[in-house]
Amino acid sequence: MVAVTSSPNIGKSIDRLEAREKVTGRVEYVHHLRLPGMLYGKIFRSTVPHARIKSVDISAAQALEGVYQVVTIDDIRKVIPHPYYGPAFHDQPILADGKVRFAGEPVAVVLATDKRIAEEAVGLITAEYEDLPGVFDEVDAMTSETLVHDVLKPAATFPDLQHLKGRSGTNVALDYHLLHGDPDAGFAASDHIFEHTFRTQQVMHTPMEPFVSVADAQEGRVTLHTASQGPSFVRIEIARLLGLPENRVRVVVPHLGGGFGGKLYIKLEALVTALSMVAQRPVKISLTMEEQFYMVTRHPCTFKIKSGVTKEGKILARHCEIVWNGGAYADIGPRVTQKAGFTSAGPYDIENVSIDSYAVYTNRPPCGALRGFGAPQTAWAYECHTDMIADALGFDKIEFRRQNLLREGRPQASGTLMRDAALDQVLDHIVDRMNWSVPLNKGTGRIRRGRGIAIGFKGITAPTTSVAIVNMYGDGSCGLYIGTVDMGQGSDTVMAQIAAEVLNIDAASIRVIHPDTDVTPYDMGTLGSRSTFHMGTAVRLAAEEAKAKIAALAVELGMPEGSNVPLAELFRRKYGMQAGNIIGTGSFIPAYEKPDTKTGQSTKATPFWGVGAAGAEVEIDTETGHIKVTKLVNVADVGTAINPKMVQQQLSGAGIMQLGFTLTENMVFRDGQLTNGSLADYKIPNLLDMPREFINEYVESRQKDGPFGAKGAGESTTIALSPAIGNAVADAIGIHLTDLPITPESIFRALQEANGTPLAGD
Amino acid sequence: MASFELVEPTNLEDAFALLDDDDPAVRPFGGGTALMLMMKAQLFKPVRLVSLRRLGQRFDGITLSQDASSFRIGAMTTFSQLEHSPEIGAYLPIITQTMKTLANVRVRNVATVGGNLAHGDPHLDLPPVWMTLGAEALIVNKSGKRLVPIADLYAGYYETTLAQGDLIAELHVPVRPAWRSFYAKVTTRAEHDWPALGIAVSVQAEGRYVKDVSIVLSAAVDKPTRLVAAEDLLRGATIDEQVLRRAGEAAVAEVHIETDNRGSAAYKKHLLSVHLGRAIQTVMGE
Repeated sequence: MVAVTSSPNIGKSIDRLEAREKVTGRVEYVHHLRLPGMLYGKIFRSTVPHARIKSVDISAAQALEGVYQVVTIDDIRKVIPHPYYGPAFHDQPILADGKVRFAGEPVAVVLATDKRIAEEAVGLITAEYEDLPGVFDEVDAMTSETLVHDVLKPAATFPDLQHLKGRSGTNVALDYHLLHGDPDAGFAASDHIFEHTFRTQQVMHTPMEPFVSVADAQEGRVTLHTASQGPSFVRIEIARLLGLPENRVRVVVPHLGGGFGGKLYIKLEALVTALSMVAQRPVKISLTMEEQFYMVTRHPCTFKIKSGVTKEGKILARHCEIVWNGGAYADIGPRVTQKAGFTSAGPYDIENVSIDSYAVYTNRPPCGALRGFGAPQTAWAYECHTDMIADALGFDKIEFRRQNLLREGRPQASGTLMRDAALDQVLDHIVDRMNWSVPLNKGTGRIRRGRGIAIGFKGITAPTTSVAIVNMYGDGSCGLYIGTVDMGQGSDTVMAQIAAEVLNIDAASIRVIHPDTDVTPYDMGTLGSRSTFHMGTAVRLAAEEAKAKIAALAVELGMPEGSNVPLAELFRRKYGMQAGNIIGTGSFIPAYEKPDTKTGQSTKATPFWGVGAAGAEVEIDTETGHIKVTKLVNVADVGTAINPKMVQQQLSGAGIMQLGFTLTENMVFRDGQLTNGSLADYKIPNLLDMPREFINEYVESRQKDGPFGAKGAGESTTIALSPAIGNAVADAIGIHLTDLPITPESIFRALQEANGTPLAGD
Repeated sequence: MASFELVEPTNLEDAFALLDDDDPAVRPFGGGTALMLMMKAQLFKPVRLVSLRRLGQRFDGITLSQDASSFRIGAMTTFSQLEHSPEIGAYLPIITQTMKTLANVRVRNVATVGGNLAHGDPHLDLPPVWMTLGAEALIVNKSGKRLVPIADLYAGYYETTLAQGDLIAELHVPVRPAWRSFYAKVTTRAEHDWPALGIAVSVQAEGRYVKDVSIVLSAAVDKPTRLVAAEDLLRGATIDEQVLRRAGEAAVAEVHIETDNRGSAAYKKHLLSVHLGRAIQTVMGE
């Protein structure tokens, strides 16, 4: 653990600013909001995964008493002529337009003054479809003649995706390539070659607060109240759809009950805006927990990894081929494909690397960002692969990693140098907390025990910008205006700590103004572990500017240098009364170089490195395959922990989430239909699934260019957890499982297969 | 959810009158925990719901007969009342044991014994337990009453033999000092989940010798089902590993198990054979 600094604000576990409001039930959420005259929308969804819409009969729904209007794409087109949206591709229609591309896609919306009436009316809508063949598996989609989209429509929103061109005749939305060194020569010079294929399943964010948005469209302007992680992006995209300047679109975001990457970019916002324009009334849509499965999910992927290793244990060459199942609409999938692609060879110093990473469309619910941005899926492959190589060649699993780990100043596969990535320290800490030097009693009877470790890293989405405003009021109190969304991670508190440290005031006295695009400045979004680093730096710069202006005011008023006259007194002397403001602004965009589109090479591919390692001990009942994780250790490099308690909560929260994605969570599809779309059947872990020993810690480190040495911490413990468990299972039963989730049945099947008595298919 | 009528009659005559309707959307309810989920999912759209909570008398309370030979449990008894009853804990410990992993505190505070029996969901934990205990339900309707063994309440998947106008009023559970019982809730995903299999066993044993036995399987089948062939194999046998294995094989052979999201048929059959043996071992005091 990092020693507590002498600073009054940094490294202090101060309570969340909103703690009292939250525990007394007074915190503001969009779910509470009711506007005068507001209508409730309820979505009628497709029951088939891929079809032409022959007809939609809304007459019975329209006739139900209390129904204001039933809206289809034809109504929306009258107010938004090109009703297609999306962050990476403008491929998603606000409501299904002639075709449906996944079962659960919104086809029509009932608007009513009472949400129960809207719900009842939805049950009266019928649709006739002409079924089309569907494509559901990502590998099939690479070559399938079934096309999800006839023409691809890149959005050219992000600097790193501007090379994308509209194509047709393919399901591949984006192909990303990296070439580092000479892989062919590397493989030729290797003593051993290993190739394995890994798969991960489709999972969902499951925020406690389901998606909810309210739009109030008036002549020439629109106000949105929405549970969004990216209010600035929402404003830009809604302004584009409506052909309005940004200043005619206002996006207001209170607290969120979790987001995890789901509530990014445009989700319900385009739909409620269109509905409000059609109805000329405010419109609210609140999804149910169950409907969230059809909004956005995490990419399943198939990852083929091949390594060349010398007999001494040096990895000489690696090839990674990853196919990401993006579902029916691209969302941010192409960026996941690229960002997770470039670190997919793992945190190892390999001279010859080639990576091919593909985002493909399928007829499944769309996939986007989810806590880790693809890094957990890639680490599942490369870290299980690491143990499989070590097992095959009889290497010590820790030493094999140490021998190949990337070190300070060495180029990662993209060519970007490793800086401030505490890989060694994190690995050492895991080894220590796992008591690795003491042999584990693995058992000889029906209960077998095993342990495993894994280490991973991720690049951070780049380039992105944050802007902050510090406003000192007439009495000397401080308002902090930021677009960062506090969705439970504690950003309000951390940002206040950073501003307080510069201004030398009490963090708890600062008022953090929540995102309101009429008031708060631009921020790319609360995503990808970027807020503490990016917004934190912008806040630091804004506070420094305010501090300089306060000093200048003191000089202007003839105060001696270094005088400690309070700001309120300075204002009084300047304005003759309690009045005035001092405003400091800060804007931050880290250095970035767009990777070469053919080789992926860039001297500045990421602003910093996210680093996490995990260790697990498991107990397996070999008669049933039942698995119990008995010990779980997560260790991350977070740079300086600005608020140690909240960092630890971030680490454990991310760990628990990934534990679910490893063992219990799985969206099961049959012929493109989700068969377990409720929390009764889609199992997130609960207290009983927690390991007896659950350790979450960070190492002493410093991100030199981060605010007070800090970097992001929200995703680090998602990366290495699955392979740590996978490797522990292998240690217990001698079999490496390659597909997630690891279930009792998958373990039992593997055991039976190995015994030569495979279990029947069903 | 559309609006509907909710009534709380205070006597049986009124209840029967309110329920005297052929419309399946007119329904009685106990705690409503299952019904509310079906209503929210729009699987059930009630016209009138008749709450039984104010009926009192025989619908309420847990009473042990004077000779301690049987329990009378009112149908509106909540799971929490069962869970915290010292008499139940002393004479029917399998009930207390089952409550530990049944739903959650909020549901147990509201869900009722009668509503649970009438729901017909094969994944429920209590029906197989009542069956293995040899319990009977007292059913009343406007023309009379009848005692029905729990097994005879179920016709199939979410299907009961209760007619419109029938109300479960009481549960009669024999106390059998010579018997020991155990319920194995087998989950295959998260620890806390609907069971992939529920196995309720009761055994009357002398040492390793089984004088009599009752085994009920739920969750993996469309209704709670007595495993008669496995019982026949165990009855009169002295328990050892071989007997248990044969009983497991007999159990697998006598039921039809379908694949679902909790496991493939082949895997659940395997689990049945393993967990049946373990459940028997547990009641035999292993």
